[in-house]
Amino acid sequence: MSKILKFFFKLLRIALLIYGILFAVFYYDLDGKFLYYIWEPLMIKRFDNMKRPDATAMPYSMKESVEDTSI
Amino acid sequence: MAIGFKDIKAKYRELFVVEKSPEEKNKPKDIKKMAKDFWYGKPHEERRLGDLYVGNTGLYKHREWRGVKDTMYYFNMIWLYNYAHMVTDIMKYGGGPQGVVTFAKGTMRYRWMGQTYLTVMHWFDRGLEGTRGEAMKASAWHYRGMVSETIRQFMRMFEADKKLNGGEENETWKKTIAHNETLSGNIFYGWRDQLDDVALEMIPYFVSVHVNNHTVLNYIDAAQSIGLPADPCPMCQAEYGLFVQDDYPDYSPVMLTTNEACDGSVATSVLQDWFLNRPLYAMPQPMRYDDPLVQKNCQKEIEGAWKFVEENFGIKMDWDQYVKHAQNFNKLTEFEWEKWDVAANTPYYPITGVAQALYRIYYSQDGDRPIWHEMDAHVKRIMDKCVKNKIETFPKTRHRAIAWSCAPLYYSHWCTWAYNCWGINCVINMDSLMFDQYLRTDTYEHALEDLSWFNEKAPMRAMAVGGHEHILSLFDYMERFNCDMVIMYDQLQCKGMQGIHGVFEDEFRKRNIHAIWVPHALPDKRTVSRAEIRDIINDYMTTVMREEPLDPSLLDFDDGGSW
Repeated sequence: MSKILKFFFKLLRIALLIYGILFAVFYYDLDGKFLYYIWEPLMIKRFDNMKRPDATAMPYSMKESVEDTSI
Repeated sequence: MAIGFKDIKAKYRELFVVEKSPEEKNKPKDIKKMAKDFWYGKPHEERRLGDLYVGNTGLYKHREWRGVKDTMYYFNMIWLYNYAHMVTDIMKYGGGPQGVVTFAKGTMRYRWMGQTYLTVMHWFDRGLEGTRGEAMKASAWHYRGMVSETIRQFMRMFEADKKLNGGEENETWKKTIAHNETLSGNIFYGWRDQLDDVALEMIPYFVSVHVNNHTVLNYIDAAQSIGLPADPCPMCQAEYGLFVQDDYPDYSPVMLTTNEACDGSVATSVLQDWFLNRPLYAMPQPMRYDDPLVQKNCQKEIEGAWKFVEENFGIKMDWDQYVKHAQNFNKLTEFEWEKWDVAANTPYYPITGVAQALYRIYYSQDGDRPIWHEMDAHVKRIMDKCVKNKIETFPKTRHRAIAWSCAPLYYSHWCTWAYNCWGINCVINMDSLMFDQYLRTDTYEHALEDLSWFNEKAPMRAMAVGGHEHILSLFDYMERFNCDMVIMYDQLQCKGMQGIHGVFEDEFRKRNIHAIWVPHALPDKRTVSRAEIRDIINDYMTTVMREEPLDPSLLDFDDGGSW
């Protein structure tokens, strides 16, 4: 019984620790600071350097003839 | 470059320490008052919310302490709840744990996803700043609804997307209808059991600007980089900029477009027709939308769209499906009317101006979806409690304002600031009042007639560029909602609204109405910054109204680099 209780209290302590860490992340806006200073600059670099097809190279006349769907 | 202890200390102070003024530092400590502030939160006039910001970033040195009860609610039921539900939504709409992989692929492929949507909790923070109790709770439910529906839509797009699936036209691709964001989802109710409809620009452009306005600037610049003019509506520029940058998901074999909101959208349709190179149906709305002579034509356009879907997907429209979803949507409309009634006639309405506007335009454009009903049930419970217990949700209200014309997307939360700083409570706005149409389902003819009206009352058409008599309905609504002030949005690149500027000036003078013109360029914060918008309101409040701010720390601060 005492082993179960010990295990339960250990779990409770871990849960409380995680909860406390999450509250610190929330209160000090650490999620925002991470996203602003670390994540977003990485993403900007990635998307600025991404190779993209030249959409304007598509000929205007590529489209097949369009059916008349009017009633 | 060596980083010293002094640098670390300075950075720490910049990011985490709220500097106190010399007067505050010298104040004797009042333990009782400190304990009261800790437990209940500081009174409105003592909050100094502007001191919490980190430089020009819009980040917080620490998030606002709202008292024990409200801070713990915000932490548990808004911050934690929404982060956790974002993960479960991704799995729910992505078909299980593999949804996380699909989400990661989309995040790494699309700028509007990878750079934008992860910052979503700051969108909540900006919109809910300073709110307490029931106003905080009810408004947060509206945000939760929008986040969940956004996840549903981008997960559907990613699952079907040829670009993320090695060019494969999978089953989801074959069963998804793409349409312009200003073409309402209710057109497609007849196929909701077999197909799904997703607006193409709603998530990559419209919602993204509200969450993080940095991304959209790439698309506006891309549009201009191929020689397209810079002076049309920047919304349309951003919409076709997505295509210039090849940053749209390819998730459907067809496209349905519209000329809503204005002739700038016609250009979007033309360019999409070029870039998409697939069957496209353009469903125009007449400019003078309530002319009796155009009604039959509008109805035929809808029937044309239905025929287009039937022919391209080989699936007949199911009338019973249409009836089911239209009737469900009517329940949302009925609750909206209930909300308007409380907002107009009592001080107990628990929704912030920005939550009201965004939620309303989102769900009415999107159409019937389960999440809206779920959120409305939460909000109804809170609103009923406020009315029953006479809870004044915005107790520092000095002015009840109505906001007219289209809002700056990068600063739709200006009304949260205006309440915190000046006590200007934006009770209602033009976007909320559109789509005011019940959908009859007793006969096919009635259904078509009402559906047509619904779409004619779409964004901007009904009250902005659809004829001056509708634009001036502002004054009827002002009376109906018991407002004493108008916030007049002045979209500098909207030719329709610019053309009628003088008429409004004359009417405001004639009627002796306090109106503050708020210039902006819809998604583009470079034209008129948020700080400039605040300056204009500050000037009016000090020089014309001769009032003192409730929170002086919010008068002047830099958020130029903020999301």
